[in-house]
Amino acid sequence: MGEEIRTTVAGRVGSSIARSAAYGMMILFTGMTLYPIFWLIMNSFKSTKEFQVSQLAFPAEPTMSNYVEAWKMGDFALLFPNSIVYTVGATLGIVFVSLLAGFAFAKISSRATKPIYNGFVIGILITAQSLMIPLFLEVNLLGIYNTRIAVLLVYIGTGLPLGVYLSTEYIKSIPNALIESARIDGATFFSIFRKIVVPMSLPVAVTLSILNISNIWNEFALINILVSRTELKSLPLGIFKFSGSLSTDYGKQFAALTIGMVPMLLFYIVFRKQITKGVAAGAVKG
Amino acid sequence: MPNRLRLRGEEGRAYWSMVLPAFSIYLLVMAFPIVLSIVLSVSNYDGGKMFGGDPWGFAGFKAYARVFSDPLFWNALKNNAYIVLMSVFGQLPLGFIFAYIIYRKLVKWPGFWQGVLYVPNIISVIVVGLLWQTIFSPNGPIAEVMNSIARAGFQSRLEAILAGVGSLDISDDHVRKILDLAGPAALEWFTDPVPELKELIQSYSGAPMQELLNDLCNLFVQRWSPEFLSKSNVAMLPILFVLLWMYTGMYLILFLANMQKIDAQIIEAARIDGASEWQVMRCIILPSLSGTIVNSAILAISGSLSSFSLIFAMTGGGPSRVTEILSIYMYNNAFLGRPNLPLANAISLIMVVISFFLIVLTKLAEKRYGGKED
Repeated sequence: MGEEIRTTVAGRVGSSIARSAAYGMMILFTGMTLYPIFWLIMNSFKSTKEFQVSQLAFPAEPTMSNYVEAWKMGDFALLFPNSIVYTVGATLGIVFVSLLAGFAFAKISSRATKPIYNGFVIGILITAQSLMIPLFLEVNLLGIYNTRIAVLLVYIGTGLPLGVYLSTEYIKSIPNALIESARIDGATFFSIFRKIVVPMSLPVAVTLSILNISNIWNEFALINILVSRTELKSLPLGIFKFSGSLSTDYGKQFAALTIGMVPMLLFYIVFRKQITKGVAAGAVKG
Repeated sequence: MPNRLRLRGEEGRAYWSMVLPAFSIYLLVMAFPIVLSIVLSVSNYDGGKMFGGDPWGFAGFKAYARVFSDPLFWNALKNNAYIVLMSVFGQLPLGFIFAYIIYRKLVKWPGFWQGVLYVPNIISVIVVGLLWQTIFSPNGPIAEVMNSIARAGFQSRLEAILAGVGSLDISDDHVRKILDLAGPAALEWFTDPVPELKELIQSYSGAPMQELLNDLCNLFVQRWSPEFLSKSNVAMLPILFVLLWMYTGMYLILFLANMQKIDAQIIEAARIDGASEWQVMRCIILPSLSGTIVNSAILAISGSLSSFSLIFAMTGGGPSRVTEILSIYMYNNAFLGRPNLPLANAISLIMVVISFFLIVLTKLAEKRYGGKED
């Protein structure tokens, strides 16, 4: 019966014209999405000379030398570990600090909760980029310009509004009875946090990590004003170097862009389902 | 009673030690910069040590007056508005259509299309910006494709004219036809076109025809060099296109996720009762997505405030500052040429105020459309 209904509905939804139009549109737009990326990767294996002869042909003599040189010129051996430190450090920081605060907001009653929590929620819609200049001045004032700690603090701070919001809303759904019975058994709030809240909050921790990992790995505008020393730069800053005087050296530029793109593409291929879910949960917020 | 008091004390200590890490980082990174921008925007601080350096103090609202009388500010605001309009009338409808196609199973492999269309979101904006900068550049692939099409067209018409004619026995008539084909620009090459070109063609006798064709193409086909990003009247268009390319997939995911929450039985029942597909869309799907649509529009506005990196990579705000958006306008005022910090802080605060306006909008939308969706 159900199957029958579905076929009638599907039958009427999809007149063959509508179906062909839908396929046509999907193929056109996915092609437009993938071709530039494919084009970039393909050309990263050409010498600049071959690129100038034809940009659309397959590489006749594929070469890895662009990668070797781009890796050296971009100091990627330094920047790659930096990006990992910033991404992992800030993501862990955001998740841990958000869950802590979320637990307090959701399960310990206090008159302070309302104003502070609302403060975080308001922060969700404040784009950190609009605070670029005062942040730059503040970091200089505190004497932490060109330090890793400044980058980590700023990244954690900008991730907190959404982190605290999602954590609090999630932890609210943990039954009070669980926490109360642990309290009666004499557990401290911290051991309840460790033994009950953290294990039960894994789904929201995963969502938060997924959202923040790609954001932080790709972040450019803020770190651009926080550090100027090469030893502290992240991958996007290194890639940006290839836009200026190096921009006519197409082979190396494309290799650098590919190096910048591949880690996140792999991350996406592995975690596509969670990323999609996380975006849907994180982007539509109040 | 004393026991209870002790408990409250422990509760309070636990509460604050859990809230304070988040709260203090938040104050440091988000709240304090806002205060700083308020203070500095009405000051005459111009860099250097904030304390213990040259003294600085209150300077009134000069910076704001300057911002509002600066045509570049209005230009930047206009560009932000363009980005919002492109989102609302480009990304949102396209994302909605894609989501609808997938949701109503008009195509197979839903995961594939969704997965591919979201890819540009995951790539670093800097990579995307530099990639498209190259694509739109005067020597980029668009130019190459257009030029090879133009060349192929010219060559085939040239072949038609020269069909069956050897280069030695070419007549004045043929030469005139070739000159017509090449257009007025070709005449610049010659003082007396017909005999000179005829002589030139005749000098190819014995050589393969292809060589003559190639050289004539080289001579007459004008290389078209697109200047998408360096012509000030069109430079915003490629940027808007790339934003469309990048973020449509995100709206697809938002719409699809919320469509999937609609009870499928309602739609099936409506279809059985004879509702047309259009009626299903208008009376069931669209109304249940009204909250999502409003949220997406708000997202589009906040997105326009955070498009710094893409434009920074594609044009840096140029040519001659026409593609600046507010954040780039602010950055350029703080770091380019002679920095004007009160001005930059005033712009920063204006952007924060726009964000607050968005928050109010969100609250109103929540009241109107009932509750959050997650």
